Amino acid sequence: MFRLIAHRLLALVPLLLIVSVLTFSFTSLLPSDPVDLILGDTGTQEQHEMLRERLGLNEPVVVRYFQWLGRAAQGDLGTSFFNSVSVTSAVMQRLPVTLSLTFVSALIAIIVGVAAGIAAALRPRSWVDRFATLGATIGQAIPNFWFGLILVAVFAVSLRWFPATGFTPISTSPWEWLRSVTLPSIALGLSSSAAIARQVRSAMVGVLQQDYIRAARAQGLSTRRVIFRHALTNAMIPVVAVLSFQITVLLGGALIVEQVFAINGLGTLAITAVRQQDIPMLQGLVLVMVALVVVVQLATDVIYGLLNPKARPS
Amino acid sequence: MSCALALAAGQAWAQEAGTFRYAEQVKLITMDPQQQSGSGVPFLRPVYESLFEKGPDGENVPLLATGYEVDGLDVTITLREGVSFSNGEAFNAEAAAANINRGIKLDVIEGLRTVESAEAANEYTLRIKLKEPDPAIINSLCYTGGMMIAPAALDDPAVDRNPVGTGPYVYNASESREGEVRVYTPNPTYWDKDKIGLARYEVWEIPDDTARLNSLRTGQIDAGNWLSNAQAAIIDRAPDLELIRHNGGLNYHVIISDREGTVVPAFADPLVRKAMALAIDRDAFNQAIQFGLAVKSFQPYGQGDWAYDPSLEGVYEYDLDKARELMAQSGFPEGFTFDMPSIPIYQSRLEALAGFFQEIGITMNIVPLEPGTLARRSRTTDFPATNLVWNTITDPKFVALRYIYEDAAYNPFKAKPSDELLALAEEGLNSVESEERAPAYKKMAAQLADEAFLIFVTNAPILFGVSEKTANNPSVVYRYGEDSINLRGLVAND
Repeated sequence: MFRLIAHRLLALVPLLLIVSVLTFSFTSLLPSDPVDLILGDTGTQEQHEMLRERLGLNEPVVVRYFQWLGRAAQGDLGTSFFNSVSVTSAVMQRLPVTLSLTFVSALIAIIVGVAAGIAAALRPRSWVDRFATLGATIGQAIPNFWFGLILVAVFAVSLRWFPATGFTPISTSPWEWLRSVTLPSIALGLSSSAAIARQVRSAMVGVLQQDYIRAARAQGLSTRRVIFRHALTNAMIPVVAVLSFQITVLLGGALIVEQVFAINGLGTLAITAVRQQDIPMLQGLVLVMVALVVVVQLATDVIYGLLNPKARPS
Repeated sequence: MSCALALAAGQAWAQEAGTFRYAEQVKLITMDPQQQSGSGVPFLRPVYESLFEKGPDGENVPLLATGYEVDGLDVTITLREGVSFSNGEAFNAEAAAANINRGIKLDVIEGLRTVESAEAANEYTLRIKLKEPDPAIINSLCYTGGMMIAPAALDDPAVDRNPVGTGPYVYNASESREGEVRVYTPNPTYWDKDKIGLARYEVWEIPDDTARLNSLRTGQIDAGNWLSNAQAAIIDRAPDLELIRHNGGLNYHVIISDREGTVVPAFADPLVRKAMALAIDRDAFNQAIQFGLAVKSFQPYGQGDWAYDPSLEGVYEYDLDKARELMAQSGFPEGFTFDMPSIPIYQSRLEALAGFFQEIGITMNIVPLEPGTLARRSRTTDFPATNLVWNTITDPKFVALRYIYEDAAYNPFKAKPSDELLALAEEGLNSVESEERAPAYKKMAAQLADEAFLIFVTNAPILFGVSEKTANNPSVVYRYGEDSINLRGLVAND
């Protein structure tokens, strides 16, 4: 297991390098110019040239990339084109926000998805199964931003149970933190819970027909023990793989949901950076997001190995 | 010393209570007023005060200044005594001159481009030397051009996030959250403590219009600004909210850049340009695109502005028959085709205009551009026409600087202005008093209407969405022509 983790972490280095090259290249290909946005409507040609010089935009892309790489290797991801805020501090300030959102969304998705999947699998073709399947289909079809708007209209604007916008750090008030992440996490977790429910149902139906389940039942074990101790453990193996993918989806989905709830996470930062063509900020953000995805996948592999001894590396 | 300060502050703070929350529709780029090239003034006003400010009717009122005198190229400004920056530095002519000179050097603020230099004549007298006569210099000093930064902060590379001014509030960096909310608390050294009415002022960055609306509905914010969009229309209809239409705002217009017909010969014909102006159904445009929140426009200025000429109202009222008649009389009865640049926020506007122009045989091809590039591309000969917005409270001299003069920023084809237009633009520069300048600029607007290379479509006022409590709060005063609230004297809603 240790070798797996070490191997994955080592593989992260070339992966981040490749991603950084691609990000730098793609942003450099964009036809618009961040200098236009910084100087606004009234900037003169001379100012444009001076600013391009100051930001290093006159240098060839390759030179700029290696300058950036040299600083990044020393832990300096640079400073935003638009202000004096360092990329590292901007990203690190927002990381807990997006992680909070993703964590609670994943939790909701797992609880709802697994519960619905088990309920459907235990009574195949019953009304429970049909209801769960229909719910899963609808859950996957509904766009999370639209669902978020509905949640805000009902639970924030009408009932005033939750705040409509914003995020409260857990360190400020755990209760307010929970209130602030509940609606966006439900909106974000809906489609993932649907995907997990379908996967759990499918896996559970297959496992419940296995001989070892019949044997467990024949031994007189309680239904609860059969389901949770024997069936679910085995059914969760493919679900873990889906979960890894869904957490990546949740990280991506946070970009949109953060807008709906005016939450200042990595998604909001990414959208602002893209609109402004703030290349250093984009570069830093992409690297952090890639690292996060790799960590999630690594965690998945570890859990997968724990659940399935055959999958453990020799 | 500290006891005395605390005692003095304690007396003033007795009236400081509550929080007022304002939501801004743009993300903060910089808190350095001299680097500020666009929106975002609400983030600056709590900390920075300008030498002058606008009175309720748009008149120039001294704030950090006490008076001024303009004599040709020399501007003498007397400064308020007993003012200090929140870091303890004294506000005097040296500090004011250093600010103006930095603004000249940075060259971001359009209103300071006529200034040669500034110097301290004595401790409280600032002398400004102009490069050319500029009747709008005091007007420019009402906004970011006149905002005063503490001398020690002028060279701080992080002044964009560490603002230090003389304003009623100081920036509280520890309680602010980057990209989310800026928190301001009372300035204990403020020169006019009676005007501090809040214990805390917050400016939230909520660019999403729906999220900002939801914040207002749930009481998370007390006020915010909006463009003329669907969410503003919802506020306008909501029984417990109010949409405030404030003076100033954005004039949307079409610019025929190629007015000598270099690329599109038809644009050299005034009959064609007039036909285009007549073919636009501004009422329908306003209802469909701007949710009925704008007004028809036929000139660069808005109603209530000192240069506004009411006699120009309806000069190009929608008249399709007359427009077709003018096209038939022109040298281009069969119509023609031209390219118009577009960015996403203008796409629906241009689609509407293309429909109107199609009715008189003119095909307008909409060419999408990357957001943020419209202004730059409009200054090139890439397009024979363009479309932009213009802040209606901008001094009329900038109409000439942007569109009329041969070297105007948005005259890329270097079209020569007519003698009449040039004479009127220059006549407007002969006085600093708006009453004396107004007749020239009214005639200039009439001449512009006659030449029709600027086709004005609508004026959308500055729109504030506020809660019922804010609407009934008598201390809420909106700054003339700005999307911000005057914080001097503002108290929290009950």
